[in-house]
Amino acid sequence: MQEAKMIKITDLEKFYRTEEVETIALNKLSIEVKKGEFVAIMGPSGCGKSTLLNILGMLDDPDDGSYMFNGVEVAHYTERKRADLRKHNIGFVFQSFNLIDELTVFENVELPLIYTGVPSAERVKRVEEVLDKMQIMHRRNHYPQQLSGGQQQRVAIARAVVNKPKLILADEPTGNLDSSNGNDVMELLTDLNEQGTTIIMVTHSEHDARYSHRIIRLLDGQTVMENIMI
Amino acid sequence: MILNYIKIAWRNLTKQKLYSLINISGLAVGLAVCMMIMMYVAHEMSYDRFHKNADRVFSPRAQLKIGGNTMNMEYMSYAAAPIIRQNQPTIEDYMRTLPYFRPVVVSNPLSPQEKFSEDKLLFADPAFFSFFSFKLLSGNALDVLKRPFTVVISKDMAKKYFGSQEPVGKTIIIRTDSAYTYQVTGVAENAPSNSSITFNFVTANSSLLTMKEASKYVGSQQISYGSFNIYFLLKHASDTARLTKGMNLMAKKDKTFDDIKFSMSALPDTHLKSNFGDFSNIKYLKIFPLVAILILLLALVNYMSLSTARATLRAKEVGVRKISGASRKAIATQFYVESALFTLLSFILGYLLCYLITPWFLNTLQLKIDSSFLYSPLVLTLLFVLLLLTILIAGSYPSLVLSAFKPVVTLKGKMSKQAGGITVRKIFTTLQFTISIGLIICGIVIDRQLYFFRHADTGINKDNVVMIPIGNSVGKNYPAFKRDVKSMAGISSVATSHYAMFKGFDMNFYDGKTKGESVGLAALVADKNFITTLGLQWKYAPAPNTELASRKKTVINETAITELHLPANPVGSYIKSGDQQIEIAGVLKNFNFTSMEYAIRPLTLNIAKEDDPYFSKWGCNLFVKINPHTNLPTLLNTMQGIYKKYDQDTPFEYTFMDDAFNEQYKAEDRLASIFSIFTYITVILATLGLFGLAAFTIEQRTKEIGIRKVLGASVASINSLLSQDFLKLVLLAIVIASPIAWWAMHNWLQSFAYRITISWWVFAAAGFVAIITAIITVSYHAIRAAIANPVDSLRSE
Repeated sequence: MQEAKMIKITDLEKFYRTEEVETIALNKLSIEVKKGEFVAIMGPSGCGKSTLLNILGMLDDPDDGSYMFNGVEVAHYTERKRADLRKHNIGFVFQSFNLIDELTVFENVELPLIYTGVPSAERVKRVEEVLDKMQIMHRRNHYPQQLSGGQQQRVAIARAVVNKPKLILADEPTGNLDSSNGNDVMELLTDLNEQGTTIIMVTHSEHDARYSHRIIRLLDGQTVMENIMI
Repeated sequence: MILNYIKIAWRNLTKQKLYSLINISGLAVGLAVCMMIMMYVAHEMSYDRFHKNADRVFSPRAQLKIGGNTMNMEYMSYAAAPIIRQNQPTIEDYMRTLPYFRPVVVSNPLSPQEKFSEDKLLFADPAFFSFFSFKLLSGNALDVLKRPFTVVISKDMAKKYFGSQEPVGKTIIIRTDSAYTYQVTGVAENAPSNSSITFNFVTANSSLLTMKEASKYVGSQQISYGSFNIYFLLKHASDTARLTKGMNLMAKKDKTFDDIKFSMSALPDTHLKSNFGDFSNIKYLKIFPLVAILILLLALVNYMSLSTARATLRAKEVGVRKISGASRKAIATQFYVESALFTLLSFILGYLLCYLITPWFLNTLQLKIDSSFLYSPLVLTLLFVLLLLTILIAGSYPSLVLSAFKPVVTLKGKMSKQAGGITVRKIFTTLQFTISIGLIICGIVIDRQLYFFRHADTGINKDNVVMIPIGNSVGKNYPAFKRDVKSMAGISSVATSHYAMFKGFDMNFYDGKTKGESVGLAALVADKNFITTLGLQWKYAPAPNTELASRKKTVINETAITELHLPANPVGSYIKSGDQQIEIAGVLKNFNFTSMEYAIRPLTLNIAKEDDPYFSKWGCNLFVKINPHTNLPTLLNTMQGIYKKYDQDTPFEYTFMDDAFNEQYKAEDRLASIFSIFTYITVILATLGLFGLAAFTIEQRTKEIGIRKVLGASVASINSLLSQDFLKLVLLAIVIASPIAWWAMHNWLQSFAYRITISWWVFAAAGFVAIITAIITVSYHAIRAAIANPVDSLRSE
């Protein structure tokens, strides 16, 4: 089953140093995620969830340990190589949506396609497709400030999936939403997962975590428990 | 992709209106100043390059030693050029010109009543229009000046004297030593503003040769000094060394001069490297480019500082773009494109601004630049290079800083601690204030020096003295004219001098202490009333009843005593000039008869009789001392009436002596007025920069301010807390700027014989201005932040 593994991290370590104090964010952490899995990562504040997600998303590099992505060691990739790998394979969803205020809904979603060099006509087609799927087509020319939180998060998800990534990293995707909008977002993620996208989600919400196949609980940078959801 | 960049740049620009305005207009002002000075410098450097053979045309310059004195010679005798040409095979052709030294009266014989005084009458060899590249609008370049008393007139003159009629074939009367009728054979385009050769009328040298006064100009039949500008067209531009050598050899055979050394001056160098004429341009050329670069640097620094200060607001965007797959290069490109857009707008605005202020600038400098020059390929290329350079520099730092943002940090809103570049921005601000303070100091010093020039005691009572140049038509009637003026009410005394005051002097040579040594003394020829009319003071007065007006007596100044190694009181001693023994009849206290830029030279004042024919023959100036509280317009009007009785042709002109005195400092005056404008601009730019930096820094400290307020801090204490940091930068700027400005001004002052010492208060004043400006600028933001409700700022975390 070697080929089914998308992510394999082994003995991963990350420290944050100030002049006098060294804080361990990840302490010899080892995790595996299979292709098509939906994994939730939970734990109290400061347990290392976000650090882990940043490393998985190749936004940050580990101090030690190994990170195999699709069978390739990427722990010490240069920023350029990481950026390249990232733009073709990973989509991000954030708690605070992180849409660019100066761009319209359409332009925000279009952004990843521009950076992967998709031709203009193809971009329009793919953006419209995904906006349609997220049911926000009618808002395509609006700016983020003109949308509700739920709609903004749909735009953010649309942007995350428009490039058809193999992996979606979601950092508390429902954190800024009411429960009804939150449920909608979770449904969307579940749909994406059912269509084959691997999803790793950091959350505080037990309710949201139940949408996943497996919950990894962290404490002080280490795995303390894994629950398999039935 | 570029389209996407431009789109977002435009949206940012319109969204942040105040910031965009500060940023674009600041850079525009800097660019406008830079463009203006660039055009000015380009114009100065482009002099005479429009001639097709500019690189092969050279003028001989000679340095000759007579006795112990070295003299520079730019003009040569009429015969010199053909003789040299005959002996020097490197010369292909030559040209001689003689700009007539005073205005002439010109009229169209069809309307003889309309006479005008015109300057720029140029005598030249027949090939003038083929030798040089002045454009002929009508007439054939090879024929126009073939015959004597033919004239080519400029386009302006054609319009003035012939209106819409064709001037060629018509006649015009030009009065030099007497009135001559010239046939107009051509009309030339006005000489371009970047031509060192200027003319309204060009006539053949052959006309001059037939005039009575020709002997005055033509000079000897040998190679000697004279009145003509000589231009050699060489076969190859590289032949100058051979020609110089050849001419030096020729000069060696001439026994008249002890020592003569020729050199060649290229035609394009004439304007800036000439030994005579207006030096002011060279002074400006040294200072203005430096100031322009400083101002542009300041504007660029401002731009970069403000752009990166706003970066926190763009940090999230950078993060999002990076997680969407943007590489650092792509982000850098984006901000470069954005910078380019801002810079382009600034450039357009700056160009418009430059267009508006250039007339004022040229007017202040009393310069003329043809508008065609402003659109010449040279200027357009320079502007384009400036644009590229500005884009390149303006975009560099912001794109470097912004593209380095880490998405992990920016997306979590933890920018404030990561913003980076705080130190760089502090350096920027210090640099800006250093430049501003430096310029303020320089401005004050220049101003004080000019004030000193105007108010220092020169030893001359300049008040209420009018100087009237006497045209040669007055001639023999001069004594009568003088008597008439003297008898007018309101006149206390009149005097005659060959030169107007501050307008020149001759050089006389006397034997020095050792054999063969000769001492050059400035010489003025005037009547005895000159001394009383100008209020000159005696150091050693002549014995009563001494007749000063004698060729065998002279009056000297104090400086001449030491120069001639005379006894402390030299009255009664003799000095020797040639074979003549001259008695020193009196010694005048030193007075400044030239600009105070120069030390007082040793002087002999040769007293002539009031009605000495010397004055009517060689020209002179009437000095009229007017009683205080006299109605000047009426008096001058009456005087003009009397003048017209004796000379109907030459216009009546007069200068007040204090105006003539001030006129000597026009170069410094212009420098001062331009400098003050530049100083205002730099102060405004520095203030804008500080305004931006303060806004940014204080925004970052919102939370701290909130906490302090909750704990009970007052608005005043928060204001002082926030202002302190900036004041430290300004103080540092004062410390850096003061010695540099002192050094620069100290050097500048060295060029004047009479100068002020730079006092401490100049630095204090400049520092005070900077501190007050800084406090007001920073307080605007600080107080706004301090009175804000802390609840809002604390909640935002």
